[in-house]
Amino acid sequence: MRNDAPSRVELLQGTLDLLILRTLLAGPAHGHAIAKHIQRTSEDLLQVETGSLYPALHRLEAKGWIAASWELSSKGKRARFYRLTTAGRRQLAAEQSKWDAFARAMALILNPADQEAP
Amino acid sequence: MRSFLRKLGWLTRRSGKEAELGEELHFHLEEEAEERGAGGLTEGEARLAARRELGNLALVQENSRAAWGWFWLEQLVRDASYGLRQVRRSRLFSGMAIATLALGIGGITAVFSVFDAVLIRPLPYADADRLVMIWDYMGKADVMTRHNPTPPEWIEWRRLNTVFTDLASTQPGDATLSGDGEPEQVPARKATWNFWSVLGVRPIAGRVFTEDEDNQSMRVVVISYGLWQRRFGGSPGIVGRKISLNDEPYEVIGVMPRGFYFMPSREVDIWMPASFPAWMRRNFTWHDAQIVARLKPGVTLEQARQSMTALSLQVTAKDFRGPHPVIVMPLREEIAGKTQTALIWLLCASAALLAIACVNLANLLLSRGAARGREVAVRAALGAGRGRLAAQFLTESLVLAAFGTLAGLVLALPAMRFLERLVPEAMGAERLTLDWRVLAFSGAAAIGAALTFGLAPALGGSRLGPQEGLRAGGRGTTGGRSHWFQHALIVIETALAVVLLTCGGLLFQTFQHLRNTDLGIRSERLLTFETPLFRYKDFDRRVAFVNAELEKVRAIPGVISAGSINVIPFTNFANATFYRLEGQPAGAVPGQVALVRNVSRDYFAAVGARLREGRFFSASDQKSDSPVAIVNEQFANRHFAGRQELGQRFKFGNLGQKGYWYTIVGVVKPIRESGVLEEARLAVYRVLEQCDQIGDLNAGMVVRTAVEPASVVPAVRQAIWSLDKNQPLARIRTMEEIVDRQLATPSQSSALSGAFALLALLLASLGIYGVLSYAVSQRTNEIGVRMALGATSGQILIAFGKRGLALTITGLAIGLVLAAIAARSMTTLLYGFRPDYTPTVAAVSAILLAVSALACFIPARRASRVDPIVALRSE
Repeated sequence: MRNDAPSRVELLQGTLDLLILRTLLAGPAHGHAIAKHIQRTSEDLLQVETGSLYPALHRLEAKGWIAASWELSSKGKRARFYRLTTAGRRQLAAEQSKWDAFARAMALILNPADQEAP
Repeated sequence: MRSFLRKLGWLTRRSGKEAELGEELHFHLEEEAEERGAGGLTEGEARLAARRELGNLALVQENSRAAWGWFWLEQLVRDASYGLRQVRRSRLFSGMAIATLALGIGGITAVFSVFDAVLIRPLPYADADRLVMIWDYMGKADVMTRHNPTPPEWIEWRRLNTVFTDLASTQPGDATLSGDGEPEQVPARKATWNFWSVLGVRPIAGRVFTEDEDNQSMRVVVISYGLWQRRFGGSPGIVGRKISLNDEPYEVIGVMPRGFYFMPSREVDIWMPASFPAWMRRNFTWHDAQIVARLKPGVTLEQARQSMTALSLQVTAKDFRGPHPVIVMPLREEIAGKTQTALIWLLCASAALLAIACVNLANLLLSRGAARGREVAVRAALGAGRGRLAAQFLTESLVLAAFGTLAGLVLALPAMRFLERLVPEAMGAERLTLDWRVLAFSGAAAIGAALTFGLAPALGGSRLGPQEGLRAGGRGTTGGRSHWFQHALIVIETALAVVLLTCGGLLFQTFQHLRNTDLGIRSERLLTFETPLFRYKDFDRRVAFVNAELEKVRAIPGVISAGSINVIPFTNFANATFYRLEGQPAGAVPGQVALVRNVSRDYFAAVGARLREGRFFSASDQKSDSPVAIVNEQFANRHFAGRQELGQRFKFGNLGQKGYWYTIVGVVKPIRESGVLEEARLAVYRVLEQCDQIGDLNAGMVVRTAVEPASVVPAVRQAIWSLDKNQPLARIRTMEEIVDRQLATPSQSSALSGAFALLALLLASLGIYGVLSYAVSQRTNEIGVRMALGATSGQILIAFGKRGLALTITGLAIGLVLAAIAARSMTTLLYGFRPDYTPTVAAVSAILLAVSALACFIPARRASRVDPIVALRSE
């Protein structure tokens, strides 16, 4: 049964922070919503381990890139909402350009055909 | 920085954060369950699935908490307090561990404190590493290979050398301080004016003498801090004050700092200008200078050696004894002397002891780690990662090490008092203290030890998976894997113990040999002191005064006999002279040098010397043109082997036609004039009245007493003052003190090595015992099964005993090989003595086998006594 599920991609080291920051760009969200958003947006290719998510959230908060506050969820329950800070926005921009460069470099090497075409 | 403040803020509301995290995760679980419930699962199933998806809840919480603060620090505090609880809980184990560590760390701390004082601490000179001492090398001479240089050599070297910025010379020159208070003989040195500039030292008050003052023989002196405090009460007006030295007025112009000292002894109190008289400036045989030089920047020791040897051969080309090279030695090695090798050896030995202690503890902890398998498994199941467990074990080791170090420092203090005698004489009585360097060293040793003994158990203990540990049903795990490791540890500690025992045995043998060496005289109840004779200008008055002194001293109740000699035995290798035998060509014969000692008639009887041939001096030996002499056995053997030595004649070579011919009337058994540890060299004795006017400045007195020698000292003083109230007595010591002081290095190092070796033996046997007992307790079941299947208790005994003995023998073999290597590196500590290895090796092997047989037997016997029914029932 497991084999039929779409094969999942292991998260690269350090990319979870970037994904969280990018998700929060859309607006404040609680932990569960962040995980689901990443999963859905990646068409289920990325599954965020809860075991990594919460430590990562707390780490980002300690660094001052995100801030947390208790608010009511859409279903009216108290939930801890995270939102991006100004420092977080800067960090996101930096991380994203780094990632873009990395992805481009990977693509250039893995798909050399585009280059060889005259 | 902001992050730091945020963490600081969180630190204050810790429980609030804790509750928030709990609530946050709870919310997550509910959301997840709800979502899964919507997917068609029952509520219970959904909750379970959500819970499973989350994974190890405790681990998630712990990892999140990690972000809040200085997590590692908190963990350390928590682990340390847990470690403390462990220490309190298992008192026996902790006591053993702490005692073992205390021995190891105490030993190495004490040894390091001397090592630091002698070999590391900076010497009290500017840039002391660039200072060297230079000696004449007289390869062919009989008395010794190394001579003090002469004043003309100093002058020529200074003029012609290319490797030193400058050279300074000092010469012996004791002085009698009189005038205010009791006359006092103070140790003094004559120094050339550039002595302080070469050393790079300044006086704390006043100045040092100038080149002009030196050349013009001005009566100025620099005094030591000690003398300033002791004799002059630290008076600020000391500079410029006139004092009476050797009955002549001298002006004090400077005071040296408190920590200043220089070869040959810390006790020097007065430095006076060398002011070489004209005859001395030309005399290439006046070997009494001590020369210190500072290397030019960029010049290496080796370059200096080559350059100075070439220069010396050139300077001494016209010496009638032939040209000779020089020896250039770093000042540090010169001051440390033989102590250096002893200290290096002791430091290695104490490190080996600490290593044994660590190995032992590692074994203990491995055994205990296995016994704590269940605790580890529970912690692992609750979410402790492997690194976390290892960190916890290591912290516990550090807690043990901290206690061990404290106890070790307490042990080190008395050991340091004992080791103070190892500080070389040139440095004087240095107090050893637990200063920050020593404390830092023992701290580092403790951490190193904790890592050594804690790492293997930490890694081993944390390797257990939770299932493995829990499945074993609380009996602890047998951990077969770790057996080879524990066995290797036993072999290592046995081998180290064998090395320590063997080398300690060799040192002990050497010390016994030195102790029992025939010194040529009987040193018990023999008081010695010196009376300076400068007050008696001409020779006859000196002889008369010495004889009067002897007369007075002999009359004191409790004194059996008294004699005088120009140099007290064992204290000085100087006063050697060239001689030629009748029939040899005129002039001095190269290489023919003998120590010359001038004695009173009854000197030999007083010290208890033994005669081989002929006679000692007698009342008939009066002032005469045909004097007599007594030579020692070495002299007789060298020149008259197999021939009649009595009646042969010789004269002193440097006196040419003027000197008397001395007729040999006796041969005395060798007396080690140059030192207890120095082989006896050629020596010639003549009676005071018959000396050819070579005046000595001091008369050494020896007094044989029937009572404790120290008790007659006041009476002796009064007796001599009754002859001359300004006559000082110097260097009052018993012969036994002189001998003990010279044997200090071998005696302290052999005693300490012995102590280390015995402790090593004890620890190694405890190690074997511990590992075997543990194996027995772990395998009680197996033994029960075996016995139920018909094994006899004898077979079980042999099986266990064999294992222990096999380990011991392996360790013994490796240890003996290592000991042979170690023994080669410590030959200087054997003082030319070639100990017989066989008895030491045999004794070490026998002791080790006996002790380890006992250590094996006790647990093996317990194994053989296992009652199969009881053993199997405990299942």
